[in-house]
Amino acid sequence: MENQIMNVVRRMSLVALAALVMVTGVLAQEMTKDEWQKQMNEWTAKRDELRSKLNTLQAEVDQLKKTDAEKVAAIKKCNDNLLALVGATPESERAFAAMLDQIDSKVNELSRLSNQDLWARKGEIDDVQKMIDEARNNKLSLLPKYYDRLKEQQNRVDALRRSLESAGMQTYTVGTWARDRDCLWNIAKKPAVYDNAFMWPKIWQGNKDQISNPDIIKPGQKLKIPPKGELTQDEKAAARSYWQRKQAAGSAQ
Amino acid sequence: MKKTLIVAGAVVMLVASGCSSKPNAEELQQLESLKAEVASLEREISTKESEKSALNRSIADKSAQLNQCEQDTKVVQERLKGM
Repeated sequence: MENQIMNVVRRMSLVALAALVMVTGVLAQEMTKDEWQKQMNEWTAKRDELRSKLNTLQAEVDQLKKTDAEKVAAIKKCNDNLLALVGATPESERAFAAMLDQIDSKVNELSRLSNQDLWARKGEIDDVQKMIDEARNNKLSLLPKYYDRLKEQQNRVDALRRSLESAGMQTYTVGTWARDRDCLWNIAKKPAVYDNAFMWPKIWQGNKDQISNPDIIKPGQKLKIPPKGELTQDEKAAARSYWQRKQAAGSAQ
Repeated sequence: MKKTLIVAGAVVMLVASGCSSKPNAEELQQLESLKAEVASLEREISTKESEKSALNRSIADKSAQLNQCEQDTKVVQERLKGM
């Protein structure tokens, strides 16, 4: 019995000893002082290297900021010199740019019109042309950014004129009354023209430069025939005014 | 004999592990602070590198603007001569 108890005690002691050895082994895996020192050395070296890199970077950034500021100043000086060269100031340049914007806006508006409407507002093409000519007389137009823009605007105005000319803008040479019975009414009535006598004010208004009195046209006169379409407000007004004058003249007689 | 050897081995291990010194809490904290400082420096460097890239781009853009202005000046001078 005593032997059995002794055996149990011995076995228990051995198990306890084995457990102690395992715990000791686990504890031994924790960092030792030497390992700590080694890591401290490694991390310190890394920190010093990064500090040095950061200092170098900071110096580079400071230098770049200085260069950037110098470039800003150089650009301003160059732009000021450029404006002085054409006798302009920032204010006059702004006004000039606004005028070009206005030309753009007008050309865009005219470009969206049908040929008939464009014909009715053909005077506005001349107005735009005047604005372009005026801009060209300004020395600011010599600056490449404006020079090219004005060139483009001129191209667009030329295109508007071409589309006006190609939009069925015919001409009609007035014949004699004896042979052709040509008056604005009869010309408008011709199938090859409008096939509608009531469109005569269109021919009159399209040729204001050469017809002051619509009752008087001369043989051999070359009349521009505006594109077909409804009478515009101006053409209607001109016709009304004509008939009123006629009526007044008739009453006077 | 066998049991004696096991007991002796265990005693040697216990003595060996007990004798090697370990860093104290303050020293461990020192190491952690060092690691945190390194992480912070890495972030700062990353920020500075971004700033440096942005400045390089800005300078390149301004150099192009300046170059354009100088070319424009020459063109305008030529056009003025032709007027």
